Parts: sequence; C-alpha cells; structure tokens
Amino acid sequence: MKVELLVSEWCASCHDAERIWREVAEKKQIDFAVVDMGQPEGRQLATRLRIRSIPAVVVDGELKHIGLLDRTAATALVAEAPERTQKAARHVGLGLSASSRASVLGAMIWLLVAGAALPLGGFFLDGAARPAALHGFTLGFLLLLIMGLGEHMLPRFTGHPIAGGWLWAWTPQILVHLAVLGMGFGWLLGVPMLTAVGALAAFVALLLFTLRIAPLLLRASV
Amino acid sequence: MHPRNRMFILAALIYALLGGLLGIVWLAHPGLVPGNVPRMHGHLMLLGFVTMMIYGVGLHVLPRFSGRSLFSERLGHVQFVLANLGLWVMIAGWLIVHNPTVAIGGAMAWGAMILFALNIALTVRHYGPKGA
Repeated sequence: MKVELLVSEWCASCHDAERIWREVAEKKQIDFAVVDMGQPEGRQLATRLRIRSIPAVVVDGELKHIGLLDRTAATALVAEAPERTQKAARHVGLGLSASSRASVLGAMIWLLVAGAALPLGGFFLDGAARPAALHGFTLGFLLLLIMGLGEHMLPRFTGHPIAGGWLWAWTPQILVHLAVLGMGFGWLLGVPMLTAVGALAAFVALLLFTLRIAPLLLRASV
Repeated sequence: MHPRNRMFILAALIYALLGGLLGIVWLAHPGLVPGNVPRMHGHLMLLGFVTMMIYGVGLHVLPRFSGRSLFSERLGHVQFVLANLGLWVMIAGWLIVHNPTVAIGGAMAWGAMILFALNIALTVRHYGPKGA
C-alpha cells in the first residue's frame, strides 16, 4: 500500500501530520512518502487530484483525507496493510532527525575548532599543525555536514527509506569525532599510532555511511 | 532523482572510500603506492568526494529551489563524464609523476566545473523586476 502525504514547509500542521504518519509507517507495512508542494512532484500530484488544501493523504493514488488526523484515525485509514515486522528503515520528512541535528551541530563545532587555524596563518600551517587543521576542516566540518544533510535529504530525493538505529545513524558520526581527535592529536603530539587509529576510524565511518546511502542510489527513484 | 545525479553521489562515496584507503596505506607504508600520494589523497577527497557530492545534490535541488527545470540535462551528462575522467587522468598523472598528464586531467576537471557553473547560472538566473 502506497501512502503519500502532501505537505509544505510553510504549513504548521504538516509537521504534526508527518510525525503522526511516520509513527504509523513504523507500525504498518506501507510504502510511505512525504511529498513537498514546493517541488515539481508535489505540484503535479496536487494538480492531478485537484488538491487545494494540505496536509493531504493520498493512498494508492487516490485522495483519502485532507487535514490533520490523529494516530488512531491515520492507522484506521491503512487498516488493511499488514503489521510491519522489519523496523530498521526510517522514513524521512520535513524535520531533521536527532542524528542529523547532532551531525550538523558536530560539524559546526569542528568548523569553530579548525577555523582557529585561520588567524594563526591559515589552514596550510607549518609542520604537524597543517594536517591537523586540514583534517579538522575536511573530516570534522565537511564530512559531518555531508553526513547530516545527506541522511536527511537523500531519502526524500529518492523516495526510499533509510536504515536507522545506532549502527547506521550514530556510529559513523561518533567515529568521525574520534577520527578527527585521534588524527589531530596524533600529528600534534607526534604519535603515529594514534594518527593511524584515527585514520582507520575515519575509513570505517565512510564505509558505514556508504553502505547506508548506496541502497537508496542504486534503486530507481520513486 | 535523475539517475545521473544518483551516479554523481554514488561516485562521491566511492571516491571517499578510495581516498580514505589511500590515506591509510600512505600512513602505514609511505613507499607502497608510487607517485605523489598526498596529492592523490587530497584530490580524491576534495574533488572526488566533496565536489561530486555537491554536483549531484546541486543539480537536483537548485532547479527545484528556483522553480525551473535544469537549463540543460545534456550539459549535466557531459559534466559527469568530464569530472570523472578528469579526476582519473589527474590521479594517473600523479601515479606516474608526469605533470603534463596532471595538467590535462586538471583542465578536464575544470571544464566540468565551468559546465556546472554555466548550467546552474542559466537555471537560477532571475528574470523578475529589480528587488523582487
């Protein structure tokens, strides 16, 4: 059963509707997608079904409800769908998830830390400080920002759910923090083993992120 | 999402793994991989991972945010080929320590940047009245 929730960034009740439907999608075996009115796909759906108000619920291509439903009423709308057994997949909508927020916040912290190299002479400092500052910026800031925004945007762009839970959502970003610390202090203190462990942590983080994102990209977008 | 944009992001992830692996190998055995390994690592991460990720996401979201279709899908395809080929040629140049090869790869990668900039600029350009 395919359920499309038509929403918009500016609609306050759409955030509540999305939260309720995400809870329902965790319990029921439905193919759930949040469709934004601001995107061509959303406008196309609204035109086809002559939808003039949001949030709107479309089930298997038919308009079923307009307005905010409580969880019981939303569940009743998809009563025919079987109970979901696999709960690892998470459907992404308008709001940033806790792991995305943590990743973006982590990126901002590393931006401040690595940026401190600029008044000291820029990112290309002399000696051991050079790789420490460069990797603080690239791994700490750029990679964490890409991870946080990637896990939020790519499921929405492709229409596929993303794997969640501690292993997939949290372990990669924790490893990136450990990697930046390990590599940075390894270079600054002259402990090559610490740098190597940090580099290994960064590689495992990249591997986990790739394994999490690749299934969304290898399938045709909805 | 357009298959080419998905491939841009997939390529970015593969380059990130390759670049990370190369960095680890260089730390463990500095002489194992021939050529200028720090340059290869740096460019695989920045040109391969970060830039390709921006290309893939940018080609998808920027037309949507501006409410228009991408100016040219064909330019996007050419950009995809040039960006990847350019990076491979640059890496080959550093592997064999041959600066002209690096320059040719660099020119191709720069060509991809020009096409991206042109395509995006022509997509998001503003037609409305001043200040609107």
